[in-house]
Amino acid sequence: MKKKKGVSYAKWGYIFALPFCIAYLMFMIYPILYTFGIGFTNMTDKLQMQIAQEEMIGIETTKVELLDNVFENYEFVLSDPNFWGSLKNTVIIWGVNFVPQILLALLLAVWFTNGRNKIRGKGFFKVLFYMPNIITAATIAMLFTKLFDYNKGPVNDLLKMLGVIDKNIDFFTIEWTSKAIVAFVQFWMWYGYTMIILISGILGISPELFEAADIDGASGWQKFRYVTLPNLKTIMLFTLVTSMIGGMTMFDIPYMIGGSGGIRGNIRTASVYIFEMSFQGGKLYNRASAASMIMFVMIAVLAAVIFFLLRDKDEIAQHKIEKANEKAFKKALKEQKAKGGVQ
Amino acid sequence: MAKNKNKVGSVVAHFWIYVFLILLAVLSILPFWIMLMNGTRSTPEINANALGLLPSKFLARNWEVISTKSFNAMTGFVNSMIISAGATVLSVYFSSMTAYAIVAYRWKFRRAFFTFIMAVLMIPSQIVSIGFYQMMYSFGLNNSFLPLIIPAIASPAVVFYMKQYMEPALPLEIVQAARIDGAGEFFTFNRIVIPIMKPAIATQAIFAFVQKWNELFIPSVLLTDTDKFTMPMMVSLLKGDIYKTEYGSVYLGLSLTVLPLFIVYFLLSKYIIAGVALGSVKG
Amino acid sequence: MKKKLLAGLLAVAMVATMFAGCGKKVDDKVIHVMSFTDEIPNMIQKYLDMHPELGYTVDPTIVATTDQQYQPALDEMLKSKKDAPDIYGLEAAFVLKYTQGDAAGFAATYDDLGIDTTKRLADAKIATYASEVGTRPADGKVVALPYQATGGCFLYRRSIAKDVWGTDDPAVISEKIGGGSGNWDQFWVAAEELKAKGYGIISGDGDIWHAIENSSDSAWIVDGKLNIDPKREALLDISKKLKDNDYHNETQDWQDGWFADMKGEGPKQVLGFFGPAWLINYSLAENCGDDLTTEEREGTYGDWAITTSPVGFCWGGTYVASSKTAVKNMSDAKKQVVADIIEWITLDTDENSLQYMWANGTFNPEKATKDAVASAVVMEKSNGEVEILGGQDMFEYFVPAGDYATGANMTQYDEAINGCWRDAVRAYVAGKVDRAGAIEMFRADVKSKVGIE
Repeated sequence: MKKKKGVSYAKWGYIFALPFCIAYLMFMIYPILYTFGIGFTNMTDKLQMQIAQEEMIGIETTKVELLDNVFENYEFVLSDPNFWGSLKNTVIIWGVNFVPQILLALLLAVWFTNGRNKIRGKGFFKVLFYMPNIITAATIAMLFTKLFDYNKGPVNDLLKMLGVIDKNIDFFTIEWTSKAIVAFVQFWMWYGYTMIILISGILGISPELFEAADIDGASGWQKFRYVTLPNLKTIMLFTLVTSMIGGMTMFDIPYMIGGSGGIRGNIRTASVYIFEMSFQGGKLYNRASAASMIMFVMIAVLAAVIFFLLRDKDEIAQHKIEKANEKAFKKALKEQKAKGGVQ
Repeated sequence: MAKNKNKVGSVVAHFWIYVFLILLAVLSILPFWIMLMNGTRSTPEINANALGLLPSKFLARNWEVISTKSFNAMTGFVNSMIISAGATVLSVYFSSMTAYAIVAYRWKFRRAFFTFIMAVLMIPSQIVSIGFYQMMYSFGLNNSFLPLIIPAIASPAVVFYMKQYMEPALPLEIVQAARIDGAGEFFTFNRIVIPIMKPAIATQAIFAFVQKWNELFIPSVLLTDTDKFTMPMMVSLLKGDIYKTEYGSVYLGLSLTVLPLFIVYFLLSKYIIAGVALGSVKG
Repeated sequence: MKKKLLAGLLAVAMVATMFAGCGKKVDDKVIHVMSFTDEIPNMIQKYLDMHPELGYTVDPTIVATTDQQYQPALDEMLKSKKDAPDIYGLEAAFVLKYTQGDAAGFAATYDDLGIDTTKRLADAKIATYASEVGTRPADGKVVALPYQATGGCFLYRRSIAKDVWGTDDPAVISEKIGGGSGNWDQFWVAAEELKAKGYGIISGDGDIWHAIENSSDSAWIVDGKLNIDPKREALLDISKKLKDNDYHNETQDWQDGWFADMKGEGPKQVLGFFGPAWLINYSLAENCGDDLTTEEREGTYGDWAITTSPVGFCWGGTYVASSKTAVKNMSDAKKQVVADIIEWITLDTDENSLQYMWANGTFNPEKATKDAVASAVVMEKSNGEVEILGGQDMFEYFVPAGDYATGANMTQYDEAINGCWRDAVRAYVAGKVDRAGAIEMFRADVKSKVGIE
């Protein structure tokens, strides 16, 4: 895949990357620095209101100022049990949804891309599985709240009919059931998306690799293990990282389900925590910013660790394949490249 | 013999696979079905039992409620379309371009730049929402679609995906050949690279469009003029306040909101269905 | 090539600005209204329809409160020099922020508009608490007033009262549940009597909460510190007692089970609900099981009656305010129109006034519902007989109920703090934490959400 050096085309790299950089600088970096900045100040909604009202009558006594102890907001967040609780909730809910999600997505992706087992209506199923992702989270939250309602929910009715329970269960006040429901909704909304990403990843694997494995008499499992999986690493990494970011910033579903009669602390995620801080009650922008930054650092560290671990494994796996089928694969690859080049 | 045994096994396996797939499919359709049906039911009916599977007779009444409120489906549709289509086009085009810069050219900061993208991929956009909306207000960009569209130029996750896709899919020999033929760099990108990227673009376009279409919080803070409302905002308008939500019309409104998504989705879904493989080169 | 890119970017930017550019109206004959439902814009529209000679139109901006978007949007508009709304709506849950709290300074006083507020308040006999809530402490001037009266009563099912006590007479039932007693002692007696016959007394603890919340003696915040009024703290025990003794259906307000009880379709029938007049229009009428489009009356329609609540309270209500910036920029003619509209909504009492139409169900003939309104003068000359209450005149009880109402126990953070409190109570009743743990949980929540300790 390595290319010979382009002669004098380097400047085009800068040109093509320029729009991204400008937009990113304006719409992400600036707000991030802004957010970062207010984390050290006394800026709350109250203060902003006061400033605006003083401006109206032409005086300027109130100002946004650096705090005497610039880390006061950080200290507050770090010592707030609700922050740690929300972080714990986030990790649990994400983990419980992600593991089955990627497994199911992988299973479906392999089924749908395997030329041998002929599943009819693949396209139909693929299109349907992604569909939950189309509906606004608000509708889905409303739907599941109703499904698991304490008094009138059909899930309770069903469980009673089956004799599993004899008294209605208040799912949203019990900690593990409320978490499980949110995790399930997340799982159900996103496995189709993950499946599509994985399918496109599998289709991106050179068919020659599979052919070569066939020639070597590899079984279905062996092909999956030694061809599909290693070559899917980068896409899996993409899925893992995006899902992790999505999971860490999970907001809509826990926020809306939490608002409808359960115990909010059970499913308050970190994003909900930040939202509640910045847009409800005291509207403490400064503390919310501090919480955002703490979360950012955590996600960044986590992602760096994942990159590091997976990169390592990738190389090990690569090594194995090379040992097993080195020659056949390389030959196939070369042929393919040669063909591509001629055309 | 082994093959025969496999066949019997595979028939049984197939049966279970289908059962499983159909179950998942039902799970996917159910909410849409309930949403559509609830659009024909009255609010008390929904309060009594939210999961009606059969249509009722209140479609006309719900529509009446919708049309007497400030809910304007056409305006919402046009606004959402401008925002979502604009953001989607910018996102996939410029992300492909950025990915191309990384894949096709050897420039000094190439690696650093890609590492940067990987790093910023981690920054969740929510955490900057406080800074973002205050900034937009101070620029006077409230009630403008710009802050909802332009930032899509920089979508690190899409760039990352495009780069992962482009690397194996785009033989640089083609680019070389084009150069020899005297094609300019932009021509090569627009006419050769973009067509090869079609499947990836379609996939990401669907995701980007759906995400933008359903976005609620940032638009509803930035757009306060009723003429600028997006579809989901129109629906939350129907909700109004907690004391008297007209659920029937909310569901009808939601159904209307989803309709355009369906159209876009099914138009682009051939790329998902056909599973267009990489390498237009190989054919 | 670079030019092409630039041209492309410019084109995109231009198209976008084009869309962004249109829509700013420079017209003095437009009333800019900001609200969370179309109720107030519709009122103003009605006024302008009644006065076509003025030639004004309404430009409504409606942002729902349901997902917390209303306040950030309103705040930005109030701050801005050009977008400040001429008239804006405030819901009881957050009105204090805009009349007495952080954003009070943005409001124009009714006096600024040329309204002789003191005289008009007295003439219309507006409930004291309403003007208290709407008065800005900084200058002691009224900046917002409501059009509804939200004093609460106990709404009960006649058939159940007859079955248990042999009568459905509101006066007797009031005695039975300890109406006006200021405590819950008699209420528990009634609950036990109802239980013996297989009935619940209320639907869920949310019902009783609204009565408790608004009858407490002190607010959540006193001198900048979190304060748990003993009456509010009692919700922990009341809620637990209700559940342990099986006095209710354990529903949540605004959830399915709660509405089902209005229809009489819960696990057991419940006697009633606590609420102001709007609860009858907005919720009870819609959910009593009657298809209002036909002549046949079904469900619990007509089976309802109202009587005095054990403790007096008020709940909800919408206030109308005007912004200082907008008033400053108005021509005198427009200021007069805005003042007239606000007076028409909040202070007028004649037969063409909003409150008269609102109270008598003539505002929208197609959907004729009656509501208790702020002016006692209007209430006196209005007929509050409604079919859903079996012909009872609801004003007979709602008017005196207004006297209990007070704004002294409110803070601008009530919505958020109430949410924390209800959560803690739920955790306690569910057995997740003990009583002390619930209070601790509540304090932690308020500390992180509101920043008050």
